[in-house]
Amino acid sequence: MADAPARTPSAPAAPAGDTPSPEGSAAHLVLDGLVKTYPGKDGAAVRGVDLAVERGRMLAVLGPSGCGKSTTLRMIAGLVEPTAGRVRVGGRDITDAPVHRRDMGVVFQSYALFPHLDVARNVAFGLEMRKTPKADLKRKVAEALELVRLGHLAGRRIAQLSGGQQQRVALARALVVEPAVLLLDEPLSNLDAQLRAAMRDEICRIQRETGVTTVFVTHDQQEALSMADRVAVMNHGRIEQTGSPEDIYERPARSFVARFVGRANLLPGTAEGQDGDHTLVALDGLGRVPAAGEPVARGGTATVMLRPHRIALSPAAGGTGAVRGTVLSAGYAGETVAYRVRVGDDGPLLDVERPTGTQEPFGPGAEVELTWDHAAPRLVSDEDGDSEGSR
Amino acid sequence: MTADSPDPAHARTPPDPPASAGTPESPGPAATPGSGGAPHPSAAGPAPAATRRRSPGRVAFALLLPGLLALLLTYALPLVWVLRMSLNEAEDGGVIRQTLSVATFTHVLGSSHYWNVIGQTLELGVLVTLCTLVVSYPVALFLARTTSRWRSLLVALAVAPLLISSVARTFGWMAILGTQGVVNKTLDGLGLTDTPLHLANNLTGVVIASTEIYMPFAILAMISGFGRLDPALEHAAAALGAPRRTVFRRIVLPLTLPGVLTAALLVFVLSLSGYVTPRLIGGGRVFVLATEIYDEAITALNWPVAAVLSVLLLAVFGVVISLYLWAQKALEARFTGPGEARS
Repeated sequence: MADAPARTPSAPAAPAGDTPSPEGSAAHLVLDGLVKTYPGKDGAAVRGVDLAVERGRMLAVLGPSGCGKSTTLRMIAGLVEPTAGRVRVGGRDITDAPVHRRDMGVVFQSYALFPHLDVARNVAFGLEMRKTPKADLKRKVAEALELVRLGHLAGRRIAQLSGGQQQRVALARALVVEPAVLLLDEPLSNLDAQLRAAMRDEICRIQRETGVTTVFVTHDQQEALSMADRVAVMNHGRIEQTGSPEDIYERPARSFVARFVGRANLLPGTAEGQDGDHTLVALDGLGRVPAAGEPVARGGTATVMLRPHRIALSPAAGGTGAVRGTVLSAGYAGETVAYRVRVGDDGPLLDVERPTGTQEPFGPGAEVELTWDHAAPRLVSDEDGDSEGSR
Repeated sequence: MTADSPDPAHARTPPDPPASAGTPESPGPAATPGSGGAPHPSAAGPAPAATRRRSPGRVAFALLLPGLLALLLTYALPLVWVLRMSLNEAEDGGVIRQTLSVATFTHVLGSSHYWNVIGQTLELGVLVTLCTLVVSYPVALFLARTTSRWRSLLVALAVAPLLISSVARTFGWMAILGTQGVVNKTLDGLGLTDTPLHLANNLTGVVIASTEIYMPFAILAMISGFGRLDPALEHAAAALGAPRRTVFRRIVLPLTLPGVLTAALLVFVLSLSGYVTPRLIGGGRVFVLATEIYDEAITALNWPVAAVLSVLLLAVFGVVISLYLWAQKALEARFTGPGEARS
């Protein structure tokens, strides 16, 4: 979460145009300690968010509902006034600029298309506000509709469009003005599952073609991992971790991230020393397990994360030293089988996920041996003890 | 849902032998298919479908009957009676000559006095409607948009004047607008005017009082008509670069027009038929159709002329409502497209 560049003395709001930041940093959109408190409510909705997005990149803000991600997006758009902190775009401080001078393309969760205007006039709205000459306007509207593959529907009313088409119009309307930043608020949540997958690819294509710096908020980890260049996981108004999708999934820094992004077994234990870059952790029923990640001092409590799909099962053989367990339940889910396995006689419960078709599934009561590769266990920090659930 | 299955194998054989303890030739169970067992596919098949289809219609008719009768007795019959009366002729001393002629119509339509009354009625209607819309719109817009927890209370307050009789409210306005009223006393006391302003006993007073009296109706009609207004639309317009005034002009106003139109119709119709306020504040100098009908019927005992004026008022309503329907259709077409089938 510390990849925001060194704070620069904020230049007074410059007139339009990008003034490169003093160090020539590549960050295009910078959020600097954004805080939002609502009067009469305990605690802040957003409690100090620092983020930086490089030009042309796509950042996903991922978190459960009520974590402050939408409020953060609205503060970037200028729809919510931050209690503290700054928003900079291209080095220019826009924190105090009104919404209509921010040059943001916003796609709302409900799309917010103007029902009394047809598709083309919806798309033209932003250009009209910018006093674009008529000829240019027509061409740009046509290009934008072509970009979202809706050229043939220019004359339609909004009420005559399907959900996916409305989503595309909303995208075209936001992009046609060539905004400094494109903001998407839960862009896919109103679409059914099939359309969602198609629009996911579509948004990625459009983002690549236009090269617009993009921030989108979502509560869907798959959306975040598959679409974004970088993911910021938010909880309780704070950023828990920022990183590439691989970082977030494979190397979660905190137990909340491990649990929220994908499924995870989180096992409490005690650090017993170092072994190379691994920390040896004594876990109940599992013995001494080497785990990668931020080292924990000897004797300290440590939490080890083990992804269910990284654990392999085999029929229990007579050998000793292996981790043994009993299958409590097996849930068939098409591509995978989800097992619950009790380690030893009264050891921890582990979730295990195995692909189907590679081995005969185990039934409840089966005795199994559990194995995992050396890199699978990861240390995660447990700082935020109250991160369970959402407000 | 049809109970008669075409496949006899799946339909249970009709009269349950254990249940039908009566005589074997008794058709009882088959004739009452609703009582349980599936009916015989061939014999009793069509019967249940027919009763089921007819019964909702019967129930609906039975439920409608009291209302229809009441409407017939209190609305349709008197209306026919008024129409009939308008074709009679009046003679001196309140005598009505039963006839079938358009003489009274010709008399009324040929008189400049009645044309003035019709003109003043329409003028009052238009002025009151415009004033009411202008003062109610901001209130309704605020009430429709606010997220305050006091919203319900504020709406109740806006509508509260309806709890007081319009007669009482009109007397209140007389106390405010009269030559010795609050406004004139204040202006005079401040030395701003030498002679009192003529705010009562004329059209101005009637417009002012009527505006206040119809405001609650207009506000309610507008709030319920502002359904399309979504704050996200205003945010979207602002994010696209529209300053607040442009957001209002391009987004809020067009989207609230249907509600404004409904309020306009309501207020216009109410003020066309309004009697109390024109009579009391008009001070006998404002002649509108409602007061004129009363005078003709009660004072002059000229029922045929009163009936003709009532028919004319009805005709005006008809025109106004047609205009409203046309305007509403035109507005609606902007949202759904010009009669085009939805995809």
